[in-house]
Amino acid sequence: MSSFPPPRHISQAGRSHARGHSLAPNFTSSALPPSNVRHSSSPNAPTSEMSLRGMSRLEGQHAMDQSRFLASKARVKNLNPPVDMRLLDYVAPYDGNLMCPICRCPFVDPVILTECDHCFCRDCIRQTWSAQYNPLGPRGDCPTCRTPAKLGLRCATSKILVNILDDLVVKCPRSEEGCPAEVKRGEVQDHVNIYCGYTVVNCPSDDCELPLRRKDMPKGCLHHGVCCFECREELQISNLERHWQSSCPQRTINCEFCDVQLTFHEREQHMKDACPALSIPCPGAAFGCTSRGRREQAETHSRNCTLARLAPIFAAQKQRLDEQEAAQKAMAHKLDIFQDGFASLQSLLCDPSDGAGLTNTQATVEPPGRNHRGRSHTMGAYAGTAEPLDLDFPTSSAQWSPSASTAPSRPAPNPPGPRPRDLPEPYTGDFDLAAPAFPSHSMTQEMPYTSPLHHLLSMHESLRDEMSRISAALAEVDGRLSMQSLNENMRTREEITYLGAQLAGLSRQVHWLTSSQLQRQQPQGAGARPANGSASSNVSDMTSVEAAVNAASNGLRGSQRMANGGNGMRRGLSEEGRTKL
Amino acid sequence: MSGNKRIMKEFADIQKDPPPGCIIKLLNEEDMNVWDVVMDGPADSPYTGGKFTVQVTLPKEYPFKPPVLSFRTKVYHPNVTNDERGAMCLGMLKADEWKPPNKIAEVLRLVRAVLAAPQPDDAVESGIAEQFKNDNKSYEKVAKEWTAKYAK
Ligand SMILES: [Zn+2]
Ligand SMILES: [Zn+2]
Ligand SMILES: [Zn+2]
Ligand SMILES: [Zn+2]
Ligand SMILES: [Zn+2]
Ligand SMILES: [Zn+2]
Ligand SMILES: [Zn+2]
Repeated sequence: MSSFPPPRHISQAGRSHARGHSLAPNFTSSALPPSNVRHSSSPNAPTSEMSLRGMSRLEGQHAMDQSRFLASKARVKNLNPPVDMRLLDYVAPYDGNLMCPICRCPFVDPVILTECDHCFCRDCIRQTWSAQYNPLGPRGDCPTCRTPAKLGLRCATSKILVNILDDLVVKCPRSEEGCPAEVKRGEVQDHVNIYCGYTVVNCPSDDCELPLRRKDMPKGCLHHGVCCFECREELQISNLERHWQSSCPQRTINCEFCDVQLTFHEREQHMKDACPALSIPCPGAAFGCTSRGRREQAETHSRNCTLARLAPIFAAQKQRLDEQEAAQKAMAHKLDIFQDGFASLQSLLCDPSDGAGLTNTQATVEPPGRNHRGRSHTMGAYAGTAEPLDLDFPTSSAQWSPSASTAPSRPAPNPPGPRPRDLPEPYTGDFDLAAPAFPSHSMTQEMPYTSPLHHLLSMHESLRDEMSRISAALAEVDGRLSMQSLNENMRTREEITYLGAQLAGLSRQVHWLTSSQLQRQQPQGAGARPANGSASSNVSDMTSVEAAVNAASNGLRGSQRMANGGNGMRRGLSEEGRTKL
Repeated sequence: MSGNKRIMKEFADIQKDPPPGCIIKLLNEEDMNVWDVVMDGPADSPYTGGKFTVQVTLPKEYPFKPPVLSFRTKVYHPNVTNDERGAMCLGMLKADEWKPPNKIAEVLRLVRAVLAAPQPDDAVESGIAEQFKNDNKSYEKVAKEWTAKYAK
């Protein structure tokens, strides 16, 4: 639009000539008046050949101008689609009779169905009937009364209705962008196309194709980047105005409550701290004060309100309470871990044959005190049971060092806590040792512990009892063993002495026999040489027997020593074990 | 676009002058095409005292295509399907009978009228229709129970 009319140096005549030429090139010279030709080409082209060349040059230029014009026109059309009359906002209320029943706007290009006299916008009725396509033209049932009808040439409404509709005043479709114009509906298309400053047009600069609002045209091309001098955001000049209106954080706005002018980014701060119009709650609101008031009222109130003055203390208390609760939670967690540890300890110490019952116990170990986790409750329960627990310790430690002599006749120690008589005793040996009193399940069921701590303590207690019982049993076994070995030793010693006595008698006899033999041999020694040889061999026999007897007695003594020594060692060992326990 | 303009106009009008016993809101502020209607059960019917939620969905082609109605509250009625669709079969909402000049307010008025006076001959729940015709007492009893149970 802006590039038309074409450049000045082509005169009106030249243009019409060129157009004619392009339409019918063969007739150019004859069809046009000669003066015209001479006028346009005479100054610099005296010959007809030259004039023809200049003509074709002009022609080309004109064709280019025209195509550029058409292209720019198409672009403007793209930038500004035709106004949709049904989207317009009407300034004043209008007669309901002017309203199309389909789009509920004043009729746009109204038509009357001749069959039933009902009136609709042309587009509305076409769209209603578009589903059933008809080659003979749009036809269908009237949307209001269902009379079969069709759109024909005679459907146009009277000029009066059209004039009334065109006189309705509407707002410019670009009113939201800032155009204040209010025009008659019939003129709104002209307003948008020709006058509206907010219509988008092509940039006036020749080498720029970007869109620009018409009102910015005199400023020339605005399509180069700039920095907003308030917020340093980079943008194009053409967008600067919109930026200041709606998105720059430094733009000035009015507080919606107190009408103070401030920049946009200060708004939040203002709302929170300064705006005198906002009502703010009393500082003690969290603790029950319901007073609210404007800033200055609230300040005087908070000076007088007890709750407001106590608020910081309350807050501190609350914080402390929260901390305590967190700590308590951590403690409870630790307690859980310990409890688990004890349970597994139990399962280790218990007879594997009791395993089935034990898992049962583990399952029942935790629940009893679970829901009584309250701090005071735990403490109270603990304090209440502390005394009897302490009293238990001496009795259990008394069972710690039973002597070997009392062991066989000692009665079974009483287990802590009630234990049913009829419970089978898993530990039955040849000593009448008490069966372990823990952890029979009936116990945990019968004694619901008031707190996990108490439960833990009692478990500890029963463990300790068990330990003492085991150590007693060990001592007993030890005593029995030493008695046995002692008895055995005595018998062995007697036998050894008996053997030693016999051996001594034997050796005396042998001695006596040897000496008598020697005395018998001496008188006849020289007389019989060969007999002497045999006698001396006899003597050596005797001596070897004697040596053997001595060796045997030595061995006996050694074994006796060894038996004594072994006994001593065992005693030492058991002594050591007892002190360990 | 023109459909949207009409929907906006209709919504504004219906807010100004809602059909009796109806409160109309948008289900979702951004979407003009789904309306959330809370309808009081009509007096002198087993539905009285109940609050029935009806969702009205306007198609993109509205007003050239009919709106879709769906009861979100379970209702014991011969003309309302007893499933999660809760569709009410109204003649004027059928595609070939819908007229673009019809307004949602009119549709809602009709819905309330049908709720008060069931049309057993156009029933979608034939069992309830039979009961309505032959054993009206027990129909009313069940309808009242459902109203008390679901339409709070
Ligand atoms: Zn229309
Ligand atoms: Zn008609
Ligand atoms: Zn304008
Ligand atoms: Zn530009
Ligand atoms: Zn800025
Ligand atoms: Zn303010
Ligand atoms: Zn206060």
